[in-house]
Amino acid sequence: MRQNEIDEILRDTLRQEVAETTAGLVGLEERIVIELGERRPRLRVSGWLRQLLAPTRGGRIGQLSVVSATAAICLLLGFFVANQVGLDGGSPGIRLTPSRTTNGGQEVLFVLPALDATDVSVVGNFNSWEPTALSDDDNDGIWMASIPLPPGRYEYAFVIDGRWWGQDPLADEYVQSYGEYSSVRYVGGGDGA
Amino acid sequence: MMRSARAWKAGLTALLLVGLGTCAFAQIAVSEFEQALRAIPVSEIDRYVAAVELVLNQPDFPAVEVFQLIERLAMTPYSAQEKEALLFDMVVAMEDGLPVDGLVTKGLEGLARGVPVPQIKQSLHQRLILLAETRDLLYAKGIFSVAPGSPQSVPTALPTPRFNLLVTHISDTIADYLEGGGSPFEGQTLYQEVRFRLTSLEGVTLNAEDVDLVLKRIEPADMTRVALSAVT
Amino acid sequence: MSPPKPPHAKPCILITEEAAGNVYRVQDEVSLLRASLEGETEAWGEVISRYKDAVFGLCLGFLRNRADAEDITHDAFIRAYVNLRRYNLEKRFSTWLFTIAANLCRNRLRYRRNHPVATLPAQIRGGADPATIIARDDRHAEVREALTRLPYGYRAPLVLRFYNDLPYREIAEILAIPEGTVKTRIHRGKSMLKRRMEEERDPS
Repeated sequence: MRQNEIDEILRDTLRQEVAETTAGLVGLEERIVIELGERRPRLRVSGWLRQLLAPTRGGRIGQLSVVSATAAICLLLGFFVANQVGLDGGSPGIRLTPSRTTNGGQEVLFVLPALDATDVSVVGNFNSWEPTALSDDDNDGIWMASIPLPPGRYEYAFVIDGRWWGQDPLADEYVQSYGEYSSVRYVGGGDGA
Repeated sequence: MMRSARAWKAGLTALLLVGLGTCAFAQIAVSEFEQALRAIPVSEIDRYVAAVELVLNQPDFPAVEVFQLIERLAMTPYSAQEKEALLFDMVVAMEDGLPVDGLVTKGLEGLARGVPVPQIKQSLHQRLILLAETRDLLYAKGIFSVAPGSPQSVPTALPTPRFNLLVTHISDTIADYLEGGGSPFEGQTLYQEVRFRLTSLEGVTLNAEDVDLVLKRIEPADMTRVALSAVT
Repeated sequence: MSPPKPPHAKPCILITEEAAGNVYRVQDEVSLLRASLEGETEAWGEVISRYKDAVFGLCLGFLRNRADAEDITHDAFIRAYVNLRRYNLEKRFSTWLFTIAANLCRNRLRYRRNHPVATLPAQIRGGADPATIIARDDRHAEVREALTRLPYGYRAPLVLRFYNDLPYREIAEILAIPEGTVKTRIHRGKSMLKRRMEEERDPS
């Protein structure tokens, strides 16, 4: 094979591959513009999320229904959160309007749909890994806590009825710790970036 | 059940208090540390207390978390030797002037997850090595730390708290990577990971110019060398 | 039926005297980005239109999985918008955007190590002359397969070079490796591809 022959083949192959699979991109601009217009903190509505929440650990019935409920509820999560905290959907701010603590941090909302749970809390490096309870006062299966945090990088996980669950859909990142997943959020400083 | 508003408010208040406590400087006296260490009990109490005294007044020493780690460790059903072995790496870090934030938070997480204490110790030990190697690396690249308030000897001399943050996050990233099964030989991947972590923290807890300085001077080969030191 | 196009970006606020078309386009892009920074999400929509194929191609090449590539493309544009204020307007926007996409792809690959899914099939449907199709199809199928099996470290620079047509310097910046390494990786990557394709044809 000549040297530039493989260059051409590579180019051709890659372009054709994209051309054949590009159907999923139709309307991407509109979807993103809409999503940004109604922006919730880092909501990802995608097949990845569904796959992610597919149960891979154990077979506890409580866990499974939590997980399948989560997949369905996440789509509606954004609207619920907006109603709860009064987001200004038209503003350029694409995160929660921050209530500033004196050292420049933010109120960070931890939200988890957990329909059948009786007890949901969050543990992380911001509370020395001791549970901070989330609450579901209106019994709609969506648990929340709003925690003021100074700027920084926070690793955390949810504890649902005693079981740790490390893949918060609203996380910025996932990491592995002691063989299990944890979630990561970055809380901005200064201008909230 | 934690559904009542009162329980939620109590939890939030408690959290706020913990949060405030965390933000405050060391308001835990040495004597309290000594008492907690005796509850383990550690064998060389004088050495451990001296180490705490050395760092207690540094503005970025996480006194509350270290204290909580010692207390909670004491309550675990392991032998005194195993518990002390876990603390030992933290003490060495303190004596050596290395930042312990990453160690203590990993320790607390391990205890909360119910990870066996000897396994936590292994993780902390690896992180200690990475802390030291990372600091050496920065020094080798001409990036130094100076006491806050003293004049900068060179433009690349950073006040200690800023320097410590870089050391913490670089070594933490490498440690997470190795514990997740990553190969130390993938220097480029490691560099990317470190870059991702540092740039994510720009303007959050790290100065943009510090991040820039580090990323310009360190290379993938350096990352491999540092990572290898922890696994060989 | 094609979906309605997003409304056009606001007119360029930077007036230039130069006649070169590409200067207008660069200025136009800067205006779009400025508008996006001010919260004009429709300006961002226009930016997405211009870059989505490039970003998707990058992701597809890196990840070798269509669903993942679509997800990461989506996430990259969200992430870029969220971080727009950190982007230095004097630097090349495409590099920054591609770097975000590359980093997200890397995260996804890490995740996929523990949660694997099927990667792209090598089959192609085609158009005209059967003989040409078969010949071309086989060749393309071979390349796709070989590409999927290339280690990421070699595949990534190849994709950026031969799909995104980027210069070595930009590839180096996106992947955070030295320019020399980029050239070596591309050279070795092509050799490995060649070898794999020859093996497929004649496994002796």
